[in-house]
Amino acid sequence: MELIIDFFFKDPVVRWVLMAVILMCASAAIVGCFTFLRKRALVGDAISHAILPGICLAFIIAQTKNPMVLMLGAFGSGWLGLITIDFITNRTKLKTDAALGLVLSVFYGFGILLLTTIQNSGNASQSGLDKFLFGNAAAMMQSDAITFGLFSLVLIILIFILFNPLKLVTFDRNFAISRGIPVKRLELLLSVLTVFAIAIGIQAVGVVLMAALLITPASAARFWTHDLKWMIFLAAAFAVISGIMGTFISYTLPKMPTGPWIVTILSTIAIISIIFGFKKGILSKVRLRRLNKKKILRENILKCLYHLGEKAGNFDKFWSTWEILEKREMNKAQLKSGLKQLESRNLVILKGNAAKFSELGKEEGRRVTKIHRLWEIYLTKYMKMAPDHVHNDAEAMEHLITPEIEKDLEVHLKFPLIDPHDSPVPYKDLK
Amino acid sequence: MISHVDNPVLELHNLTVTYENKPAVWNVDYTIPEGNLIGIVGPNGSGKTTMLKAVMGLEKPSSGYVKVFGNDLDKVRDKVAYVPQRGSVDWDFPTSVYDAVLMGRYTKQNLFKRTSKRDREITNDCIKKVQLENFSKRQISQLSGGQQQRVFIARALAQEAELYLLDEPFAGVDAATENAIISLLQEMKAEGKTIMVVHHDLQTAPKYFDWLVMMNTRLIASGKISDVFNQELLNQTYGGRLNILTQVGELLKQTSHPIREKK
Repeated sequence: MELIIDFFFKDPVVRWVLMAVILMCASAAIVGCFTFLRKRALVGDAISHAILPGICLAFIIAQTKNPMVLMLGAFGSGWLGLITIDFITNRTKLKTDAALGLVLSVFYGFGILLLTTIQNSGNASQSGLDKFLFGNAAAMMQSDAITFGLFSLVLIILIFILFNPLKLVTFDRNFAISRGIPVKRLELLLSVLTVFAIAIGIQAVGVVLMAALLITPASAARFWTHDLKWMIFLAAAFAVISGIMGTFISYTLPKMPTGPWIVTILSTIAIISIIFGFKKGILSKVRLRRLNKKKILRENILKCLYHLGEKAGNFDKFWSTWEILEKREMNKAQLKSGLKQLESRNLVILKGNAAKFSELGKEEGRRVTKIHRLWEIYLTKYMKMAPDHVHNDAEAMEHLITPEIEKDLEVHLKFPLIDPHDSPVPYKDLK
Repeated sequence: MISHVDNPVLELHNLTVTYENKPAVWNVDYTIPEGNLIGIVGPNGSGKTTMLKAVMGLEKPSSGYVKVFGNDLDKVRDKVAYVPQRGSVDWDFPTSVYDAVLMGRYTKQNLFKRTSKRDREITNDCIKKVQLENFSKRQISQLSGGQQQRVFIARALAQEAELYLLDEPFAGVDAATENAIISLLQEMKAEGKTIMVVHHDLQTAPKYFDWLVMMNTRLIASGKISDVFNQELLNQTYGGRLNILTQVGELLKQTSHPIREKK
């Protein structure tokens, strides 16, 4: 605990570094949302690797570790990488995947070559250049932190100003062009911003893992919302949380690079999102399936009660659970839980081991039975299915068909009275 | 059979568009009268979509030009609305029906401004016109194909244009939606708008349209439906490519030969 308080409040340099990391991570995640939605995630990866030779060349030429100089080099070679990808895809027979693979490996390989040369040159000031591989935010100096923080802030502000046009271009490029919106210039700007965000972000996570900071927050956020603004906000939040925690860890364990930690935390968030996300998560689908299953069970019991009532000519009779089970095969425990659910919805009245329709339940049972029989008629008539083949299909559809489709079915089939098995179609007013 | 009109809404002059040097649209030349519902028919791969894209400036012509209301498109962009094919975008994009339709209100001039009250009213009106008012807040991937198509049409309506170009609005759409769309288009026509529709179903074509453009890479016919919708022209349109024309096209592609001599 003391460590945490120390970390956040004692050292002014750390505060600056932290501020810079927050802004850097946020800007990378925000730009990354557009990269992700434009399906250019791999381009982000290629560019971040392509940045390494630029940093090394800048160092060799200028003989300084001044971050502005190194960033200029980073931006230069990142941009060259981007242009090379576009050139290969547009002007040669090679496809995008080949272009990305080429640029990533060739640029990165060259970068490592330069880095090794520098390290073997015995130049005293070279130490620490390898931190660009995996990032080490905690080692940033105060002046660097302020510079990078400001750059990131400018980036974030620009994206906000350009939000509407960027959204339009990302969703429907052709439409945007048809409106006379300067799409080419916007795309160029977005590319510049992306390379910038990457060039800045490598301070924190390094070139190898930069793509993760760009893309993972966006992919994780997508599972929680269907709204672009929220997606951007969440992505930024995820990245910032990971950034703070990663910096904290590398602050307490000085030999620890920041990048792998940030990415590990981000990945954890992503996995949680994939499983638990409200909008597209695995759990939300499982929940939906369970809800469906329960609804099917309830409607099946209601239909069964309706059939029993039909046979007896009395819909207000109590039926014991074994009578219901005899009519329709199901698990006894399931039947019990289904009846409980129906009772809590005021659809059946329970008395000991027996159940009968409430008024509401009778209506519901009639409705499900009616849809089942209408669908059977529809199948025999329009899909030319034999009457003895239609039952199973109708068993499933009766739970799905909405009141609107029900109405359409009635009109389309001209209110038929008898289903293919000679059972009456129970209309409301024709009881 | 190519009928020309005076003061056309749209004029294509000898328009040729090539892909990898092979013409997809070849010397197409026609004029379109105002206030009509116009069908564009032709087999798959006959250049209908490419032609629309060239009109909207999405494809650069190799030769020829397009005039809209007698002007270059850039001068009259606000009067032209374009509805791309539904499959041309990723419907999983995180946005709602309302926001997607609102995009029709963005122009070059108001890109950075906040939406005005009028923009929001028009957006809501257009959503109502395509009967999606109950789906306004819904995410667009949760819509059926027909509903997605209606989102695209509402977005075009929100532009309040004079000329509408729709690329296959009836593809993969249920019959009810098709009827709703066609009666909406007819209403628009009654208001004096001009609507061009890339269409695939020849059975409904004479019922829907006043004017027909028939093409198969080259232009076969353009004129009143009563003048052009006949067996002979349909045979020409759908009877396959012209053998020699196809051969020359392939040759252009293989040899990178220019389609026009540079002056």
